[in-house]
Amino acid sequence: MRVTQSMLSNNMLRNLSSSYERLSKYQDQISTGKKVNRPSDDPVVVMKGISYRTDLSEVQQYKRNFSEAYDWIENSDAALDNAGQALQRIRELVVEASNDTYDASQRQAISAEIKQLRDHLADVANTKFGDKYLFNGADTTTQPVDLQANSGDGSFPEATQPVEIELSKGIYLPVNVPGEKVFGEQLFSDLKALTDDLDQGKNPASYLDQIDKHIDDINNARADLGARQNRLEMMESRVDNQEVIVTKVLSDNEDVDYEKAITDLTTQESVHRAALAVGARVLQPTLMDFLK
Amino acid sequence: MTSTFHGLEVAKRGMMAQQTALYTTSQNIANANTSGYSRQRVNFVQTEPYPAASMNRPQIPGQMGTGVEAGSIERVREQFLDVQYRNENNKLGYWDSRSTALSRLEDVFAEPSDTDGLSAVMNEFWQSLQDLSVNPENEGARSVVLQRAQGVVDTFHYLSNSISDIQGDLGNQISVGIKDVNSILKQIAELNQQIGEVEPSGYLPNDLYDERDRLVDQLSSYLNVKVEKMPSGGNALDIAEGQYKITLLDANGNPSATLVNGNQFNQLGFSTEDGKYTNVVSGPIKNIEVYTPNDLSQTESDPVAGIEVASIDFYTSGNVNFSQGKLRGLIESYGYQVGETTDLSGNVVPVVAGIYPEMQDKLDQLAYTFGTLFNTVQKLGFDLEGNQASKDFFTNLSTIENAASNIQLNSDLQTKDIAASSNGLPGDGKNAINLGNIFSMDLSKDITLEGVKNSDGTPVVLSVGKNPGDIDVPITTSTINSFYEGIIGGLGVASQQAQRLSNNSSSLVQSADERRQSVSSVSLDEEMTNLIKFQHAYNAAARNITVMDEMLDKVINGMGVVGR
Repeated sequence: MRVTQSMLSNNMLRNLSSSYERLSKYQDQISTGKKVNRPSDDPVVVMKGISYRTDLSEVQQYKRNFSEAYDWIENSDAALDNAGQALQRIRELVVEASNDTYDASQRQAISAEIKQLRDHLADVANTKFGDKYLFNGADTTTQPVDLQANSGDGSFPEATQPVEIELSKGIYLPVNVPGEKVFGEQLFSDLKALTDDLDQGKNPASYLDQIDKHIDDINNARADLGARQNRLEMMESRVDNQEVIVTKVLSDNEDVDYEKAITDLTTQESVHRAALAVGARVLQPTLMDFLK
Repeated sequence: MTSTFHGLEVAKRGMMAQQTALYTTSQNIANANTSGYSRQRVNFVQTEPYPAASMNRPQIPGQMGTGVEAGSIERVREQFLDVQYRNENNKLGYWDSRSTALSRLEDVFAEPSDTDGLSAVMNEFWQSLQDLSVNPENEGARSVVLQRAQGVVDTFHYLSNSISDIQGDLGNQISVGIKDVNSILKQIAELNQQIGEVEPSGYLPNDLYDERDRLVDQLSSYLNVKVEKMPSGGNALDIAEGQYKITLLDANGNPSATLVNGNQFNQLGFSTEDGKYTNVVSGPIKNIEVYTPNDLSQTESDPVAGIEVASIDFYTSGNVNFSQGKLRGLIESYGYQVGETTDLSGNVVPVVAGIYPEMQDKLDQLAYTFGTLFNTVQKLGFDLEGNQASKDFFTNLSTIENAASNIQLNSDLQTKDIAASSNGLPGDGKNAINLGNIFSMDLSKDITLEGVKNSDGTPVVLSVGKNPGDIDVPITTSTINSFYEGIIGGLGVASQQAQRLSNNSSSLVQSADERRQSVSSVSLDEEMTNLIKFQHAYNAAARNITVMDEMLDKVINGMGVVGR
């Protein structure tokens, strides 16, 4: 085949340009850390990448939901602890007042303290976390206990709807304590009856059973919260694992294998140098250099 | 007897012929880097020997040579290689324009990406709805949802507008391409005319040939054409190439119209309503007209009058019928009519195919399905005040067509109107989860919503389809997410294929060109060698004249002077 100078220089330019093209590909790969930068680089990898990214953003979101669930449970638990202590104190006072040596005035003094504790329990029932009430189910913007409402009869939570948070695709965990179970009308009316009796100087011994029952209610609710917290922790560790796995899958799918990319780059660099060197040698000499 | 001065004449002819060769060599060197130039060579021919056979020929022992002449100056070129080159160049034109169009689409979609691109924006929107579901009474969470929804709407607008813009650009490229083709056709006809004037006088217009072949090379990238040669007649040499007749071939390689015949030429264009022809694209392409212009002096930007030669359907009986090449690649990207249909109001509307219209259509389907489902689910839920939601989330979704560019976030929608609740209680966020799940609902099946109940207490079930009570949306076989993944995957595959074939044809063009260069391009070493060769011959011929001179000096000045 007849080969001319212009063919040599055209070929050299073309080879250099394709060499630059490959260098630029490796540069993209190494500097972005991705094997693929556009769909046509590898359509399947890109399609899978989109779906893995969606998975990853879901897992990350569920992790965020977990912290919200913890907030609910921990705040509810703290409030119930508070309520439990108040009831415990009421029980002690009742035991004290049941003593037959107590006269009417002493019992009235105790009644005054119990009234304060009853108001305190109402406050605890109205605990707010952020801008929502903890013990009124999903109706979080309405105050659950109002002792003054209905001309002094008060209003109390009943049949509340659970607050459920999605913690994994399609898996919901109720995070609230139903208000009617711990701060129901019965609790406040029992306490009202107790203070009324004490005000009249009666022996309150008969109320001990009722108070014990209310303390049990609160303890049961806390036990239930504890169980849910355990479940939450287990679910969270699973979602944590899932995040690691999804991140790894995403990375395996489209992240560049640095050892390979750098080796490729170095190889290509040598090829490029060789192409430049051979171009310099081939293009220079002509017959003119040798004619006198 | 031959003439006394015979030797002088032979030597002079030698000098003149070698000089012609030296000039030709010099022309080759000068044009070593001219594109389209084919190296030339002088065909040396011996002149008629003396004596010729005749009645009163002189009685000499044999015929005596009378020297040399430069018979013709011919370009060195292989026509078959031109055919190969143009075939491959034609395919390159097609795949290159296609791969450029597809790669611009890839740029628009910007996938894969953690931050840009529709999928990232949809993921962010989903996350904001999840945040809303855990904090449904929170004003901040609600306004983030509105902002993210605006982000999705903006992204749909951006994608749709970018596609339209590039499509408009492609339309301009088609116009410019047709203008270019028309100009090439006109120039070839003019060259034919000049060649037809030169050849009958026995000359070879090598430079005109080169120029004409260069133009045909250019034309081949736009259109698939067949080139035939028609002899010029007169006193033309046998090696004269004649005038070109150029025929446009269709997709199957059958002739569909004559473009250039001698000095006659036709033009390509689209017919306008007043029976004229224009190169300006307006809307999806149906026919391409080949016409003979009436008035050659008219400017090309205005529609021109002409006589129709052929009206070529771009698409016919299930296939693209138009000639392979860059123009076809551009039109396939821009959009073309494949038929007609009647819309709901009884108007006849064209059915359009093509890379950009189809992509726009898919995006419209996506936006329409997403917006419609979102509105449906929104209205099943309850707002912050516990009322059944009545306001649409997205508006301007009356038709699927242009849904992606029309869709808007309802401007009446306030943060409290977002139907996060499934039962009217402010702390319930189940419907926000339903809203978020729209991206991953399998639309081929019935969809049971979380929390939302019918009046009889059974969960609300949505179904998508054409039956009464179904939600009528275009995507019915997959989830919105996977539909979008399908768009990107399909785009990637098409683009990858176009790039691969473009690279293939590019290397075939290169190898055809290399073979052609191998024959036709100027080698400086070769020219230097020739230069020396011809110079030596020239010098020797000059020396010959000196010898003759000395000989004649002897005869004229030295003879008949014996003993002096």
